[in-house]
Amino acid sequence: MAIATNKGLSLAREIYADRSKRVRELRRDGKKIVGYICLYPPVEIITALGLVPFRIFGDMSEPITAADRVSTTMVCPFVRSILDLGLKGKFDFLDGVVGAHTCDIGAGIILQWRDAIKDAPFTHLLDVPHTDHAPAVDYFEGQINSFKRHIEELAGEKLTDDKLKKACEMHNEQRKLVRQLYDLRKPDPPLLSSAENLEVMVALSSLPVEEGNSLLEDIIQEVTERKVKPSPKKVRLLVWGPVFDNTALYDLIESADAHVVVDDTCVGTRAFWADVKPPYNLHALAQHYLVDIKCPRTYRQAEPFETRRDYDKDLDSRFNYIKKAIVDWGVNGVVLQSVKYCDTHGYEVPNLRHYLDTLGIPSIYIEHDYSERSMAPIKTRVEAFVETLG
Amino acid sequence: MSDSVAPAKTEQKRAINRLKSMYPLRNLVAQDYINTLQASNEGKPTVWAMLNYWEGDLPLKAMGLNIVYPENYSTLMASSGTAEPFLDASDSDGFPTHMCGYGRSTIGYSFRMMKQNDGKIPPEAPMGGMAKPTLLLGSGIICDARFKWFQALSRYFDAPEWCLEMPMMGTFEGTEPDLEEYQVKFLVRELRDFIAFLEKLLGKKMDWAKLEELIEVGIKIHETCWQIHELRKVSPCPMHSTDFWSSMPPALFFAGDMYEALKCYQDMLTEVQERVKNKVAAINYPEKYRIVFAELPPWHSLKFFDNLAEMGWNFVYESYGYHNPRPPDLSKVSDPVEKLARLSRNFVFNVHPYAKADGIENPIVETYLRIAKGWKADGLFLHPLISCRAASAGLRSVQDQLQKRLDVPTLWVEGDIIDKRVFNPQETLARAEAFEQTMEHYRKVRKSRGLDW
Amino acid sequence: MDIIASKLFFTGIDIGSTMSKAAVVDAEGVMLGYVIGPTGAEHRRRANMVMEDVLAKCGVSLDEIAYIISTGYGRVNVPFADKQVTELTCHARGVAALFPDVRTAIDIGGQDAKVLKIKNGKLVDFLTNDKCAAGTGRFLEVAAETLGLELNEMGRISLQSDTPVKINSLCTIFAQQEIIASLSEGKPLPDILAGVYIAIATRVVKLARQLKVEPPVVFTGGVAKNGGMVKAIEAVLGMPVSVPPEPLITGCLGAAILARDEAFKLINRGEYKLQKKQLSEAYIEFTEKTR
Ligand code: SF4
Ligand code: SF4
Repeated sequence: MAIATNKGLSLAREIYADRSKRVRELRRDGKKIVGYICLYPPVEIITALGLVPFRIFGDMSEPITAADRVSTTMVCPFVRSILDLGLKGKFDFLDGVVGAHTCDIGAGIILQWRDAIKDAPFTHLLDVPHTDHAPAVDYFEGQINSFKRHIEELAGEKLTDDKLKKACEMHNEQRKLVRQLYDLRKPDPPLLSSAENLEVMVALSSLPVEEGNSLLEDIIQEVTERKVKPSPKKVRLLVWGPVFDNTALYDLIESADAHVVVDDTCVGTRAFWADVKPPYNLHALAQHYLVDIKCPRTYRQAEPFETRRDYDKDLDSRFNYIKKAIVDWGVNGVVLQSVKYCDTHGYEVPNLRHYLDTLGIPSIYIEHDYSERSMAPIKTRVEAFVETLG
Repeated sequence: MSDSVAPAKTEQKRAINRLKSMYPLRNLVAQDYINTLQASNEGKPTVWAMLNYWEGDLPLKAMGLNIVYPENYSTLMASSGTAEPFLDASDSDGFPTHMCGYGRSTIGYSFRMMKQNDGKIPPEAPMGGMAKPTLLLGSGIICDARFKWFQALSRYFDAPEWCLEMPMMGTFEGTEPDLEEYQVKFLVRELRDFIAFLEKLLGKKMDWAKLEELIEVGIKIHETCWQIHELRKVSPCPMHSTDFWSSMPPALFFAGDMYEALKCYQDMLTEVQERVKNKVAAINYPEKYRIVFAELPPWHSLKFFDNLAEMGWNFVYESYGYHNPRPPDLSKVSDPVEKLARLSRNFVFNVHPYAKADGIENPIVETYLRIAKGWKADGLFLHPLISCRAASAGLRSVQDQLQKRLDVPTLWVEGDIIDKRVFNPQETLARAEAFEQTMEHYRKVRKSRGLDW
Repeated sequence: MDIIASKLFFTGIDIGSTMSKAAVVDAEGVMLGYVIGPTGAEHRRRANMVMEDVLAKCGVSLDEIAYIISTGYGRVNVPFADKQVTELTCHARGVAALFPDVRTAIDIGGQDAKVLKIKNGKLVDFLTNDKCAAGTGRFLEVAAETLGLELNEMGRISLQSDTPVKINSLCTIFAQQEIIASLSEGKPLPDILAGVYIAIATRVVKLARQLKVEPPVVFTGGVAKNGGMVKAIEAVLGMPVSVPPEPLITGCLGAAILARDEAFKLINRGEYKLQKKQLSEAYIEFTEKTR
């Protein structure tokens, strides 16, 4: 058994390097694996039905070739990479795929997939409203409900209140543990590097929740006790942006005189700041995903029905959770990264940078095309940014 | 090769046979810019709105507001060749350069107005400019840019934004039983909140009678437009895509006075009927090929269609995102808000049942399959844009399925709605010439498969 | 300045994508001399050669060099460097050494362009363009090839133009076609060349505007030697720019000055590692003097 031979951080690294290894084993033992795209499909329902949720990422080292049949080059390359891997049959270990209308282009993955692949396995596309308005939360609850009905067919069983409650508690436990993991980077120097942290986060998204939780417990203990600590560096950074699931960027930043101590990305903290609240029903899930998760894809404003929009107040209402992270983790610079062609994050850039300016926090914006190749040109800019912070 | 784009030499006959009834429709939108400027000068509220497929337009109009649509204004900047400094201004204020060209030109416009020109209209703005907004109406229909970019404008304006909702889904989930009622319920609640917000903002009550009346006029406009475009199924096609683009604002976002618009569209219907009766084509050359255009046109290079018309290319349908579907029967619905919800929702969901029957998951693909069949397309001109994901992402699937299911070939030409520097007309014309042989070939293939065009 | 301190020297080496440069400064940060040579394929060998050349030119031996900073695109390939610093920081430092009041620096190299905001001699913000050849020296080379001219005669010819041709294309290939079209239309050569300069300047100034250009502006990089280019930048920017006498060496000069600063910082903190035996005495005495 692979699980027994390797533990803690080295297990996380092993899973990071071969993400589907563990779920393939589970599948051989009769488990059904459900891939999900982006962090809006409620994993609690997947877990509650005895299925294993597996987050789908692209592959930054794999050239995009097959996807050209169904997508153009002018769309988000993360989306293109997922389509590409799908068309190449690299998700053959999945019994189902759940997508969400997180952004217009991301939603297209499921549609293009269904049209391009004959006999696609179970797929579901969850509509996510654009705002956090109260009627939108109710509508989203209905969407979660139809997702639930549909995936019950795949699971061959019905969701009960009890199963859902247990799944919510387990995932909340994971959220708590992840917050503890991030706490390990509050000291200076941090006890864990950002690349190690990313490996753990990617591993969590490739494991059943209970295995992820025990992995986290082991890692927290291991890191707290380990003798070799990262060396002190000049600068403590926060990384912001859409999906980034590869250690390349973190390695690149940390090869300069900087630690990345916290992030606001959808592979990092975004899904873990807030817990699902009791009573653990579908409405609570709708509230959690649409309102409590802070991602630029959702339209938010300082006050509902406001008749005047004050720039500073607006920014503070949207970004003050970042301010809190900056204070709590002692951050002195922010790297805004985005994959090219991401509309939901792109429009945010000058405004978020302005907000950071008002906090006296320098920032830099870097753009890449979700490939390891596109990292190299960023290197000098990141290093120079770190040099300006000295 | 460069002389192939030069205007036809001797007799100055125009390659495209424009509809006379198009011109008054084209002028209606100009009226909106003037009215909005005037309203602004008088201290009255003004609105910048995104295309919202009528759920927001009609309440705004019923409240007597003057509205301009930056998406439309950006096409004016592009076609008048004035977009570039605004794009530069957007870049210089730190917005990434890969985003929607409409968004970037509007952002640049706002930057010029508020940061460099004291809140006044920048002197280089075409058509007298867009007046400063007191309300920004964003929309979640189709693309994310349309609420994100208005959100970003908080950088320049203290105008509040409202973001309209609309469910977006594919065929499978979009045809679930009971879905429509549950979506309408959601939209009705949203729209009631929106109207309550408008009442709060403007300090006056909604004129419900007016709203009902405008909904009825709007439905008539849409019914008329639908009839016009059905007539384009005949050969030779009596109306060219360029006439559609010039005349669409009064149906797409109810530009201008709606009663006048209805009359104009009725005139257009009459003119098109006349042409059909007399077999008059939309181009002054024999209709050799019937072409469908997807999706947004190169506004800066519309002249280019004249060159194609000279080659006998008639553009018989276009831009599904700019067409209204046939309006649903709402005669039994009494609540005007519910009518709005159903009218608007129908834009997104009208094609889903057909898609389901055909086993197509992406509604855009089904839309183009239906258009190609209905309008007997010899080919599709696909125009993926560097700056609009929404109108580009599905085009590969469209291409794939059209070829597979109907043997209709496609010409793939990369370009942009705003940035003319990425479009190469000479090269495209050369490719178009070669494409004729492809179209000829597939005509035969379709015949041999028993398809009727 | 006492005798011992004046024996300390510092080197900056800038391995750029096309040219390698090195400079030596003394303990006061005054430049003794510099060398410039092509980079070629073998970075490491190049680094050694540049180092030898600059030492020979300045009459200083390797043992007298207290600290070396490498910079530029090939900075990792300088095995004997004590530290690597990005070319952005080094350029800023070098420019500020020559023009102490500088607020904005524009650098156009063979493969990239950068804009630096500088305050009190320090880099505070920057932007780079390495994706698009149209705003770099590469574009000039393409234009020169297309027109069959030598790079160094272009500037002089372009200065004869009053009505530059407009070049619209974003992409080098399209722009090349435009140049050919202008030629076949019989447009005068100076106008075409001036048009090329304006096109490059427009791209770079666009980049600069994102950082809000503040005077005084300094223009550096290989392209800054070109009078036509300087004129174009000034025209598009709408303000005068200063060009250093040798605009290629601001990077290595900055690196050398930073090497001096860094060494003194370490010496003062008592952390300087004395590997270079012959110098140890001098260091110790110097350290004592500066305490
Ligand atoms: S990175 Fe941006 S565009 Fe891509 S899927 Fe995520 S939100 Fe959508
Ligand atoms: S649909 Fe495309 S062009 Fe229109 S607003 Fe959205 S991104 Fe821009």
